[in-house]
Amino acid sequence: MPRFWRRNRHWMTPALLLLPGLVLFGLVILAASFETVWISLHDWDGIGAKTWVGLANYVELAEDPQFYVSLKNNIIWLLIFMLAPPIGLGFALIVNQKIRGMRILKSLFFVPLVLATVTVGVVFGWVYDPNYGLLQLIYGLFGGTTPALLSDENFATFAVAAAGLWPQIAFCMVLFLAGLNNLDEDLIGAGRVDGARGWRMLRHVVLPQLSQVGFIAIAVTVIGALRSFDMVAVMTTGGPYGSSTVLAYQMYEESIFSYRFGYGAAIATVLFVIMIAFIAWYLRGLLRAERSNA
Amino acid sequence: MYPRPIPEDAKIQRVLYVGGVTLVVALWLLPLIAVMLTSIRSNEELMAGNYWGWPQKFSLVENYTAVFQQTAMLRFFLNSLLITIPSVIGVLILSTLTGFVLSRYPFRGSNLIFALFVGGNFLPAQIMMIPVRDLMVRLGLYDTIYALIVFHIAFQTGFATLFMRNFIAALPGELFQAARAEGASPAQVLRHVVVPLVRPALAALAILTFTFIWNDYFWAIVLTQSDAVKPVTAGLNNLRGEWTSAWNIVSAATIFVALPPVVMFFLMQKHFISGLTMGAVKG
Amino acid sequence: MAIDVTTLSTTRRRFLKGTGAALAASAAGGLCLPALAQAQEITIISNLSNVGQRDILHRLAAEYEAKSGAKVTINNMDHEAHKTAIRSYLVVGAPDICFWFSGNRMKAFVNKGLFDDISDLFARENYKGVLGATTSAVTVGDKQYGLPMGGLLWGLFYRKDVFAEHNWTPPKTWTDFLAFGEAAKSAGMVPMSMGTKELWPAGGWFDHMNLRVNGLDKHIALMDGKVQYTDPMLTPVFDKWNDLIKAGFFSPNHSSFGWEQAGAALAQKKAAMMDLGGFVRSAFPEADIPQLAYAPFPEVAPGVARYEDFSVNSVHVPANAKNKQGARDFLAYFYKPENLGAFLAAEGAIPPRNDCPPSKDPLVNAAVEELKKVVGTSQYYDRDTDPDMAQEGMTGLQEFMVKPERRDQILERLEKTRKRIFG
Repeated sequence: MPRFWRRNRHWMTPALLLLPGLVLFGLVILAASFETVWISLHDWDGIGAKTWVGLANYVELAEDPQFYVSLKNNIIWLLIFMLAPPIGLGFALIVNQKIRGMRILKSLFFVPLVLATVTVGVVFGWVYDPNYGLLQLIYGLFGGTTPALLSDENFATFAVAAAGLWPQIAFCMVLFLAGLNNLDEDLIGAGRVDGARGWRMLRHVVLPQLSQVGFIAIAVTVIGALRSFDMVAVMTTGGPYGSSTVLAYQMYEESIFSYRFGYGAAIATVLFVIMIAFIAWYLRGLLRAERSNA
Repeated sequence: MYPRPIPEDAKIQRVLYVGGVTLVVALWLLPLIAVMLTSIRSNEELMAGNYWGWPQKFSLVENYTAVFQQTAMLRFFLNSLLITIPSVIGVLILSTLTGFVLSRYPFRGSNLIFALFVGGNFLPAQIMMIPVRDLMVRLGLYDTIYALIVFHIAFQTGFATLFMRNFIAALPGELFQAARAEGASPAQVLRHVVVPLVRPALAALAILTFTFIWNDYFWAIVLTQSDAVKPVTAGLNNLRGEWTSAWNIVSAATIFVALPPVVMFFLMQKHFISGLTMGAVKG
Repeated sequence: MAIDVTTLSTTRRRFLKGTGAALAASAAGGLCLPALAQAQEITIISNLSNVGQRDILHRLAAEYEAKSGAKVTINNMDHEAHKTAIRSYLVVGAPDICFWFSGNRMKAFVNKGLFDDISDLFARENYKGVLGATTSAVTVGDKQYGLPMGGLLWGLFYRKDVFAEHNWTPPKTWTDFLAFGEAAKSAGMVPMSMGTKELWPAGGWFDHMNLRVNGLDKHIALMDGKVQYTDPMLTPVFDKWNDLIKAGFFSPNHSSFGWEQAGAALAQKKAAMMDLGGFVRSAFPEADIPQLAYAPFPEVAPGVARYEDFSVNSVHVPANAKNKQGARDFLAYFYKPENLGAFLAAEGAIPPRNDCPPSKDPLVNAAVEELKKVVGTSQYYDRDTDPDMAQEGMTGLQEFMVKPERRDQILERLEKTRKRIFG
C-alpha cells in the first residue's frame, strides 16, 4: 500500500483534492442543469406529468416575437454592463492606498453590492420618476422635463440596465482590489526602474498581470448581464408591454406565472448556450495566453 | 504596490486625496443616501412623492423598531449566520482545492472540468428550482438549514473555482518549480506556497460569497418553509405587502440586513495586503 | 398504556382541556403519549402582509391551542414569494392549512389533486347556508375545496370633498362619464388615476368595460377561452375604451408606476376617480380616509344588468397535509363569525359570511350594501382566465392603453395565445 501510494501520489493527491468539489458541484448543479435540458423537451407545468414534445418548445421560441425583444435587450444589457470592469478597476485604483480613513471609504464603495435588490430597484425607480424623481429635480433646475424613461419602450431597458450596473461595478471593484494586491512587486519595481509611470505602467506592467482577474471580472459581468432578472422584475416587470424583458425574466415569467416550465427551460437552454459559447471563446484565448507565458 | 503609494510625509497631499475620494464616494452612493433618508421618513411623505428632499418628520425610531416588531428579524438574522458562515468556509476550502489542482496539475480533460465549473454558474435559478428541490427532498434535507448550506456550497463552488483557479494561475511559475525541485508534495505546495500567497484572493472571495449567500432569498423560499430556519432576507421580504409596501420600513430593514456584509468587508481588508515577492515565501 | 384514539376523538378536546397542564408536564418528564402529542400539531403557511391580520391569526391560534391542546405553528411568507413557494410545498412538504386565491387559481391546484375536498366540513358546519353564492368561488364540480375569505368589490373610488367642491356626482351613464371626464380635465385633474406597471389595473379596466357591454356570461366565456379575442363582440369595448384614451382620461406615463402612486394622486386631489378595490385606503393618509367613497363603474351599454368583479381570497387544506382532521377543526374555529369578522376587519375586506357582525368601517358596509344590488360576479381578469393567458392578456391591454393604434396586432396576438392554451 505505501508503495502504491508513493508511486501514484503525484496524480492521486491532486485527484483527491479535486474530488470533493467536483462531486458536490456535479451532484447538485450539473445534474440540475442536465435535467433542465431534458425538461425543455417536454410540455410541463412544474407539478403534474411531463409530456414529451421533442423540439416543439424551440420551434415555438423561434417564432415568438417576445424572444427577439428579450434577446435584443440582453445585448443592450451586455453592452452597458461591459462598463463595469473598467469602472470597477478605476475605483480599485483610486482606493488602493494606505491612508487613514481609506478602509472605510473602500467599504462604502462596496455597499451597492450588499443592498437588497428590491430596494435598489425601488430607489432607482425614484431616480427616474417623471414627477418627483432625481432626474426630474435636476432637469427642473434648468426648466426642463425628463422623459418618463421607464414607460418609454425605447429607453426602459437602458434605464434598468444602468441601475443593474451599480452593484456590478462594486463587484468588479472587489475583484480588482484583490488582483492589485496580488501583483508581483518585483515586476513593478523593475518597471519603475525602467522609468515606466502612470498610464504606461498600467498598460504594460500592471494590466498583463491582471489578465486572470480581468477574465473573472468579464465572465461574472457577462453572467450578471444575462442572468439578472430581479431588477427588471422590480423596476418595470418587463414593461411597458414586454419591451424591457430580458431572457431570464421571460423565462421566469413563463415558468412561474404562466406555469410553462418546459418553455421556460427552453429559454434557459438557449441562454445557457449563448453564455457557454461566449465563455468558451474567451476561455480559449485565456488558456492560449497562459500557455505562451509558461 | 500600484498605484504608487502617496508618501507618508506628504500630509497635505494625503488629506486632499482622501477628500477627493470622499467626494467620489458621496456621488457614487447617492442612491444609498436615498435609502437612508427613506428609512427615517414617514410613509405619508413617500406617498406624496418626497423621495429626495429632507424628511419633514423624522421617524427613525418608529421605522427601525417596526422592522423588529413586524417580523422575527433577530431569529432570521441568527439563522442567516448559521447558514452563511459554514457555507463560506466550505466554499473557501473546496474551491482552493479545485482551483489549485485545475491550475497547477493539468491533465487530459482538466480544461473541460474547468469549463463545467464556469458553465454551471450560468443557469438561471428558477429553472433549477424543481430538480434541486427534489434532490433535497431525497436527501432528507428539505426544510432544514442544511439544504441551504449544501446548495450554496455547491453553487458558489462554481464561481469560486473560477476565481481561485485564475488567482493561483497568476502566481509566478518559478515558485512551483522551486518547490517541486525540493521534493515538496502537492499538499505541501498547497499549504506553504499557495495559501499564504492567495490571502488577498481568499479574503475577497470570502467577502463575495458571504454577500451572495447572505442576500439569497429565492433558494430560501424554495428549499425551506418553516420560519424557524429562514434567513434574514425572508424577514426583509415579509415587510412587503400584497397591495402596498411601506418602503420606509423596508429601507430600514435593508440597512440592517446590509450591515454584516459591510462589516465583514471592513474587517477582511486587513488581508488585502500586497507583497507578493519571491523573498516572502519560505522554502 | 393503550389508548383507543378513535373513541377518544370526540371527548379528546374536553379531556385535553382539563389535563393539558398535566400532559405537558408528563411529556416533559419523559412519559410518552405519542398518539395524543403528535396527532394534534397543525402547521399553517400564511401569505398575509397585513400586520394587523397576522396578529389576529396568531391570537386565534393561541386561543385555539389553549382550547384544544393542539399545537399551531404559523409560518409566514411574503405575498409574491408565496406564489412561487406554494408550487413547491404543495408537492413535497405540505402544511395542514395554506392561504391562496379562489376561482381559477384554486382550480389549477384542484385539477392536479393538490387541494383536499372539504365538502364534509361545509356540510358539518352548514357553510352553504351562510355563504350563499360565494360558495361557487371555491366549488369545482359540486365539491368545495376551500373556505372563502375576504372579498374585494371593485369600482370607482373618489374623494367626497372634491366632488362636493366641484358639485359633481358620480357618473351613471356613458354620456355622464364622458362629460365628467371633461369637467375633471377643466378642473386640472386627471379623470381616472391609473398605474399599470403591475399590469393588472389594465386587466381590471377591461373587465369592467366588457361586463358592462357584453354581460357576465359572455365575459366568462371569453375568460374560459371559448370566445376569440378577435370576436366582433369586443369591438365596442375597445372602441369606447379608445375614446377614453384619446380624450386623455388616464394618467400620463401610467406604465411607469404602480397603483400606489396612482392612488396617492387620488388622495392628493390630482386625479378625480380611480378604479380599484377597497385597499385604495392604504394610499390615503389616515386623516383623509373618511373622505373616500365608492361608486359603481358607470353603465356603458344600456340595459345590461349589473355585474361586478368581486375577488375572493381563500384558505385551503392541501391534499398532502399530515393532519387533515386537525386542519378542519382549526378552520371551523377560525371561521366562526366573530373570529372571521375580526380577522377581515383588519384589512377592510368584505366578509363572505352573512352572519358576521357589521363592520365599523363605513366603506366595508357600503360595499356589502352595493353587493346586494349586483346580479352576478366575476373575480378579476387574472383570476378568471388561465394564468398563461392572463399574463399575455394584461400585457396586451397595457400596450393598448399606451398605443391604441396597435389594437389589431395586439388582439391577433392574444388570439394566437388563446388558441395555443385553449385549443
